[in-house]
Amino acid sequence: MKSSLINGVTIDDTFAEAFGMSGTGLIITADTPKWAMICATTMTGFGTSVIGCGAECGIDRVLSPDETPDGRPGVRVLMFGFSPDALIPQVANRVGQCVLTSPGSACYAAVEGPIPIPLGTALRQFGDGWQTSRRAGGRRYWRVPVMDGEFVCEDKTGCITTAVGGGNLLLLGTDRRGTLEVAEAAIEAIAKVPDCITPFPGGIVRSGSKVGSKYPGMFASANDAFAPTLKGATKTELNADTVCVLEIVIDGLTSADVANAMRAGLAAIIANGAVKGVTRVSAGNYGGKLGQHHYHLRELV
Amino acid sequence: MSQLTLTLKSAPRTRIDLSGLAPAIAGGASASALALLTIAPSTRLGDLFAISGTADGDITLSGTTSRVDGIGAGLASGTWTVEGDTGANAGLNMRGGKLVIKGNAGPYLASGMKAGMIHVTGDAGDFAGGVASGKRFGMTGGSVIIDGNAGTRIGNKMRRGLILVRGRVGEAAGSRMVGGTIVAEGGFGAHAGQLMRRGTLIGPNVEQMSATFADCGLHELVILSIMSRVWKHELGPLAPKPFPAKVRRYAGDLASIGKGEILLTA
Repeated sequence: MKSSLINGVTIDDTFAEAFGMSGTGLIITADTPKWAMICATTMTGFGTSVIGCGAECGIDRVLSPDETPDGRPGVRVLMFGFSPDALIPQVANRVGQCVLTSPGSACYAAVEGPIPIPLGTALRQFGDGWQTSRRAGGRRYWRVPVMDGEFVCEDKTGCITTAVGGGNLLLLGTDRRGTLEVAEAAIEAIAKVPDCITPFPGGIVRSGSKVGSKYPGMFASANDAFAPTLKGATKTELNADTVCVLEIVIDGLTSADVANAMRAGLAAIIANGAVKGVTRVSAGNYGGKLGQHHYHLRELV
Repeated sequence: MSQLTLTLKSAPRTRIDLSGLAPAIAGGASASALALLTIAPSTRLGDLFAISGTADGDITLSGTTSRVDGIGAGLASGTWTVEGDTGANAGLNMRGGKLVIKGNAGPYLASGMKAGMIHVTGDAGDFAGGVASGKRFGMTGGSVIIDGNAGTRIGNKMRRGLILVRGRVGEAAGSRMVGGTIVAEGGFGAHAGQLMRRGTLIGPNVEQMSATFADCGLHELVILSIMSRVWKHELGPLAPKPFPAKVRRYAGDLASIGKGEILLTA
């Protein structure tokens, strides 16, 4: 495999393979930035991978009061799933259990798309007949009485089926703490890119997987070629001095968003990777046959 | 291209009905064809109005009086400016566009209006935004801004949209209302919201609150912030004055289904 050395970090001549997904989004507001963030963090929780969570969820960005429909502090969250039908129950459950319940919260559409995802349409029934709706500016809002006043919720949000899930970067390092710090810096850089999320804990995955397993019923299992403790025992992809591999997974509303996020992440890794022990950057793919979107690392540096 | 100007030649002694004018213009009638438009038995538009300019969408009517009915009825696009008073049914069944009345408006202003904007610099008569005889609803959308006062039972069976009155509103505003918003910056007359089902009345006071409206206390309402921002965006300087952070909510009319409300801002 050809590779290039930039600022002391080897960039593999490989590509990340990503998949077409459906994407939707919400604006969550509250009385204070703190409570908007608590609500957004809770509703995007347990949303790392579609495999086991039903949806991949994350915080896109913090919104200032003049960017939200009600003039209060807000947070924009994005959710990605296999299909609009798969997202509908995820939105209903997460908003019902995590946004409706959060003090002072309100919830609005954040993605314009051809397919509607019910928001207040389903939740209004919590009002048990006391709910009322209002139309304003071509949008419909529900007012549902709750114990701290009213939960205001837009009727629907939008969904697009041209989103992309699974853009990724693999950081290979000779020092575990240093590699994590570099991955954190990459996540900070990616967070500034709009319309994308990094759904795993803190944006980082340490259990990158391969497809399939020796055990029946397991769709994914240990990526032994990238497991440092197995590097003498398996056909490894790692260098002799690699002790730690961390992956960053990116979902975006468009392919360009994923490419921009990978570009920003790569730049951050290259800028301060070598001194922290990151020796190599690679990317995960399945030979290019499964995913519609390919992101070649060398085109992104 | 100069816009179309219609100037009333002399004050009419009987009522005249201009409700055919907007559809004729929308149908592409030229100024000369408009002069031949029949507006009453043996009376054509050109008999009463001096017509000049080209019908390109925007229109000025001047010299009108409270005997000229149906101005802007069925208007769908363009801006009509009326320099004078209007009779009944100004903006009847409007579907879009803008109607500016630099004077007072008669009864049934904006009745059946679906979309668009009406701005009256003077007062408006009874039943503004109210339901016309034989119809199900009054206004079903759009915005009506009245700089002066308004008469009784405005927004009668109103379903959607905004009526903003800078001055004071007469008795029983929002009677039998099923949705939408009436803002009375100068306050409401007695029995506001009589038999309203849904919808919102907002003002500093009600002359005599009906016994079937229940005080629900002082609240910060997120929905008011949303409405205010939308109105500011859509109406600019004509938008309602900012509301206080907390308003007193009365739920009613409990003699009906009680899902409406009167929000007191003072």
